[in-house]
Amino acid sequence: MRRVRFELNGQTVEHEVVPRLLLSDFLRDVLGFTGTHVGCEQGACGACTILLNGEAVRSCLMFAVQVDGATIRTIEGVSPDGTSLHPIQQAFHENYGLQCGFCTPGFVMSTCALLAENPAPTESEIRSHLSGNLCRCAGYESIVQSVRQAAWELAGGNCAGKADGDDE
Amino acid sequence: MTSSTLARTSEAATEQSGQGFGASVRRTEDYRLLLGTGTFTDDLQLPRTLHAAFVRSPHAHARIIAVNAERSLALPGVVAVFTGEDLAELTAPGVMVQTGAESMVMETLPTRKVRFNGDPVACVVAVDRYVAEDAVELVEVEYEPLDPILTMESAAAPGAPLVDEDLASNLHTQQTQTFGDVTSAFAGAYRIVEARFSTQRMTHVPIEPRGVLAVWDAGRRELTFHSGQQTAHLLRTNLARRLRLEENQVRVVSPDVGGAFGQKIPLFREELTVAALAIKLRRPIKWIEDRLENLTAANHARDDSAWVRAAVDKDGRILGMKAELWADYGAYAFFTPKYPIDSIGWLLPGPYKFRDYEYSINVVITNKCPAGTLRAPMALVTWATEGIIERIARELKLDPVEVRRRNMITAQDQPYVSATGYTYEALTMWEGYEQMLGEFDLTGFRARQRAARADDRYLGVGIASVLEPTTYGSAWYKKGGRGSGHEAATIKVEPSGAVNISVGIVPTGQGYETTIAQVVAEALGSRVENVNVRLGDTSLSPYGMGTRGSRGAAAGNAVAYLAAMEARGKLLRIAAHLIGEQVDNLEIRDDQIYVLGEPEPRLPLSQVSWTAYMDPFKLPPGEQPGLEIHRTYDPPPMTFSNATHLCVVEIERRTGRVTIQDYRVIEDAGTLINPAIVDGQIRGGVAMGIGQALLEEVVYDESGNNQTATFLDYLIPTMDAVPPIRISHVQTPNPHTVRGLKGMAEGPVQGGLAAVMLAVQDALDGQGLTIERSPASPSRIRALFRTVEGDVDE
Repeated sequence: MRRVRFELNGQTVEHEVVPRLLLSDFLRDVLGFTGTHVGCEQGACGACTILLNGEAVRSCLMFAVQVDGATIRTIEGVSPDGTSLHPIQQAFHENYGLQCGFCTPGFVMSTCALLAENPAPTESEIRSHLSGNLCRCAGYESIVQSVRQAAWELAGGNCAGKADGDDE
Repeated sequence: MTSSTLARTSEAATEQSGQGFGASVRRTEDYRLLLGTGTFTDDLQLPRTLHAAFVRSPHAHARIIAVNAERSLALPGVVAVFTGEDLAELTAPGVMVQTGAESMVMETLPTRKVRFNGDPVACVVAVDRYVAEDAVELVEVEYEPLDPILTMESAAAPGAPLVDEDLASNLHTQQTQTFGDVTSAFAGAYRIVEARFSTQRMTHVPIEPRGVLAVWDAGRRELTFHSGQQTAHLLRTNLARRLRLEENQVRVVSPDVGGAFGQKIPLFREELTVAALAIKLRRPIKWIEDRLENLTAANHARDDSAWVRAAVDKDGRILGMKAELWADYGAYAFFTPKYPIDSIGWLLPGPYKFRDYEYSINVVITNKCPAGTLRAPMALVTWATEGIIERIARELKLDPVEVRRRNMITAQDQPYVSATGYTYEALTMWEGYEQMLGEFDLTGFRARQRAARADDRYLGVGIASVLEPTTYGSAWYKKGGRGSGHEAATIKVEPSGAVNISVGIVPTGQGYETTIAQVVAEALGSRVENVNVRLGDTSLSPYGMGTRGSRGAAAGNAVAYLAAMEARGKLLRIAAHLIGEQVDNLEIRDDQIYVLGEPEPRLPLSQVSWTAYMDPFKLPPGEQPGLEIHRTYDPPPMTFSNATHLCVVEIERRTGRVTIQDYRVIEDAGTLINPAIVDGQIRGGVAMGIGQALLEEVVYDESGNNQTATFLDYLIPTMDAVPPIRISHVQTPNPHTVRGLKGMAEGPVQGGLAAVMLAVQDALDGQGLTIERSPASPSRIRALFRTVEGDVDE
C-alpha cells in the first residue's frame, strides 16, 4: 500500500492505494467519482480523460500512486457548483453534442484542456485535438459545433474561433 | 463559421416555438450525462459484490479435454471457478429455432468444444476484478486443436469438419424465394448485367462495453439484473427461462446505456453465467467486459455478399433480377441465422420497379465470433441495388440518371407493391433523387472530375436512394413464424398533474426521454418539463418489444402518444362534468382547461387530476377513479422511410487514401418529432456507414486468431474522418401510422456505405477498375491501382 495525497476537484484527498490500481478504477470504484468512464483501458477511446495539473490525460493509462501531489479535475468538477452547467457543458447541451453520453465526460475534459491552451481554435484544430476521443453515436459534427460555441461563450462572446483559412 | 453566424445559430436554438411534434427541444437526458451523474451499469456499486472474469479460448476450434482450476482457486481472493459442466446444471441451454432449418442448441458455456478465438470456457469469481483476472491466467485448460473453418467456401465444402457437430452441415440456411416469372424475364432480356458486392466482418463498438450486475435476493427469491440492454422484457423472458425461474422472479433494469447498435439485444452467455452464479453464491456479481473482449467476443456482424444479376432491355429497363446472397454467421446463433441476409434479399428491389425476382440466401457457420444484428443489418443492400443500376448504365453506355428515371418508383406509382410483396406508400425516392440533382451541379462536377484526372487526381460522386424499413408490425413477424411488433405504454397523470410515463422501448442514446415527453406534452396540453419518462426497468415499464430496428418513433413514441391521448380523453370527460360543458367544447393548453373560444381558462389541469384520485364522487357517472392508463399498439406490417445520399470523394492514387469532400442527405422520415435528434441520427448513422466503407474490418489470421483486438487495429471513424453533412428534410406523412410517423435510424448507415462506395467506384471508372468489397481501405485501393500500373509505382 502507498499513501497518496492530492487535490481532486478542489478537495484534498488522502488515501492508501495498492501500487497496481489504475487511476480510473481509483477514481470510480474507490472514491466514487463514476463520471469518468472507462471505454477501452487501451488509452485509445478517450472516455476516461481527466485533467492532471491542467493537462488532459487518460486515467486508464495511469496508476493511482502517480497522482501523489497532483491536482486533478474530473467531469464532476467542471460545473461551478455541481448543479449548473459550465459553458462547455451548456454548449454540448445546446448543440446536441451528445447522444448516449458515455464518451461525453471525456470530450468535455478534452475540450477544457483545448480551450485553456487555445481559446479560439479553428475547426481543423478542434478536429485534430479531439480526434483522440471516440464517439460512436453522434458523427462528431455536433461536438465540433459545441466546442466552437463553448470557445465563443468563454471568450465573452466577442472572440469567435478563427476560420480555418485564418490559421496563419 | 463566422462569429455572427454562430451567434445567430445559438439564438435560433434558444427560440422554441412549441414543444410538441416538430420542435427541436433540447434533450432532457443531457443534464445528468453532462454533469457526470448518469448511471451506467459499471457505476452501480453494492456491498459484498464479487467480480467475474472469463477464461477464453486461445484456439479457433478445439476440443476441451480438461479444465483444471486448482492453481486458480488457491489464489487468495478467488471465490470459485465454474465450467460449462457446472453451468449446464444451473441453467437451461439456448435453442435457436428457425423455420425450414435445423435448430441450433447453445450451451451456457461450452462443455465439449470451443468454436472461436475468445469463446468463454470458464468463469472465475473473485473479490475484485484484478484478482479475477489474475486467476483467469491460472486456470489450465487442456485443448485438442481442430482444423478451423474460416471461410464461406470451406464451410460449405462437402466433407468439411463441422463447427457444430449437432448440425448436418456448416451450411445452415439455404433458401430460395421466387416472385413472378423470373425465368421468362431473363429469357427475354436484351442483356444480363451482373455485379458482386461484399462487405467485411464488422463489430458494433458501443463505447460502453457489455456488462451486468446481477443481484439475487435470497429472501424474496428474486433476481435483479442490472445491465445496459435494448430489449429489457424479451431479455427477462429469456433469462427467466434459462435460469428456470418464473418471470415474476426476474427484474431487468437497464440503466443509462452507453450505445448499443444492436449488440445489446441477446442474452449473452457471459451475462447468463453471471446471473446463475449470483444465485448460486448468493452474492451480487459484477462483470464488465474489457475492450478486447468486446472486439473479439461480443457479437460481430455483416460479413456478407451479394451476386446480383439484372435482366434489362436495351433502354436499361429492368425486367427482372436474381440475387445469390451469402453470409458468414460465425460460431453460434444469437439471432436466427437467416435474419440479416434475408432482409437484404427482400429489400434488394429497393426503389425500382420490377416484378420478377428471385433470391437465394446461404448462411454458413464458421469458427469466428458469432454475428448478429448491427445497426442496419441489411446495410449492404443499398450499395448492391444502386451498384447494379450503375453497372447497367455503364454496360449499356447510358446515363445513370436516365436509367433511374426509367426504373425508379415515383409518387404517382404509389401505393406500389414491391416484387417481394411490400407496400410502399408516401415515399419520395425519385422526388428525393431529383431534388438532390437540383441542388448538386453534376455537370459541373463531371468537368472538375475530368480536369482532376488530367492531374492524376481521382474524384468520384455517389448518389444513393435509400429505402429504409423502420418499424415491423406483428403481421411481419407472423410471416416469419412468430414474434410481435407491438409496443406498450403506461401513463400516469398524478394527482398534482405531474406526468409519469413508461414505454417498453429502452434508450441507448436516441433521446427517447425527450421525444416521448414531447409527444405526451402535446397530447395533454402540458409541458416537456412536466413529463417524467422512465424506461428500461421491467418492474415499472409495460411489456414491449424494446429498441431494435428503427421502431422508436413509429412504435415507441406512437404508443406513448396514444396512451397520452387516452389520458387526455379522460381528463376532458372529467373536466366537462365539473364545469358543465360538452367534452367537444374543451381543450387543454398550458396545463389549463379552456372552453373553445374563451380567452381565460376554466380550470387548471391539476384540479381535474386531483379530482380523479381524491374526490371520486365528483366524477361523471361510470367513470373509474384514477388517471393511470395502459395502452398497447401494433403498427402496420411494415413502415418505410427513404432518403437520398450524395457523397463526393477524392482518391489519392499513390497512397490509396479516400477523402470525403462533400456529403449531403435529403431525408423523408415522415412527421418528425424532434428534427435536431433526427439530424443526430443521420450524422451518427452516416459515420458508421463511412466506417464500413473506409475503415472498419475484423480480421482473422489463417489459424482463426482475431487480429483486430484493440482500437489500434479495429478503426472506427474519428473526428477527422467524418465530414460535415448537409441535411435537409422532406416530411411526407405516412397515412397509416400514428401522426404520420415513419421513424429512421438505420437508413443513414445503408446510405453511408452505398454513397461512399458508389463514389469510390465512380472515381475508379475509366481505369477499368471495379471495387467489389468494402472497406475501400488504402491497401485495397492500392491493390486495385497496382493491377493497372504495372511496375511504374514507387
